[in-house]
Amino acid sequence: MGTIGNLILRLTIWFLLTSDLSVANIIIGVAIAVLLPRSYTSHESVKAWCRAFQKILLAIPQAYLEAFELIIRPHNAEDVVLEKIQYPRSPGLIFLEIFLITFTPKTIVVKSRADGYYEIHRVLRRAKNS
Amino acid sequence: MINLLSYTCIGIGIFFWFWGTLPLLGKKSVLFKLHSLSVADTLGSMAIVFGLLLKIPREWPLLVLTIITLALWNTMLGYVLAYCSSSGGENERA
Repeated sequence: MGTIGNLILRLTIWFLLTSDLSVANIIIGVAIAVLLPRSYTSHESVKAWCRAFQKILLAIPQAYLEAFELIIRPHNAEDVVLEKIQYPRSPGLIFLEIFLITFTPKTIVVKSRADGYYEIHRVLRRAKNS
Repeated sequence: MINLLSYTCIGIGIFFWFWGTLPLLGKKSVLFKLHSLSVADTLGSMAIVFGLLLKIPREWPLLVLTIITLALWNTMLGYVLAYCSSSGGENERA
């Protein structure tokens, strides 16, 4: 994540945690956000991040929809599919992608392979070849 | 009105919890159980906390943080469990 994005994330968590917007707390929060070490430096475009966050917002209703589908109709078949990793060089975006896929109840990422594919486990209503 | 909405959310959450947790006792594969657990843990708990958020809006920072961490940690642990189970073979039907 870019430096700015990193700071915004840390400050958001800090303010949610402390729920205090006094000057002293803002100074402490900014200091901590700046002083905490960064684990990696990669440069994704802001656009890629915006698209990722948009996908997260869309994933929430989709997850509930899938949950109700699972409850109403039993899904007894399963299979494993491969999906290409979209941003193989960016740990942050890979994390978000795995998060999004696993967050929806019908799909779970089992492994992200070194050759650029995710192994995704899905549940289906019935087996494909029957 | 808000009360009704909040109790509906909490009710849905509790229903999700039981629906997703009871199959753990069944004989399906670990991955199948993980799918229903993600309904129960992640979505059910999020619905419950959202219902609470409607009821006590003045605590919103902590409740929003709870929702975010619930989504993040449950999903991550689901991925970790799926990853661990994938090379298990014999243990898959434990």
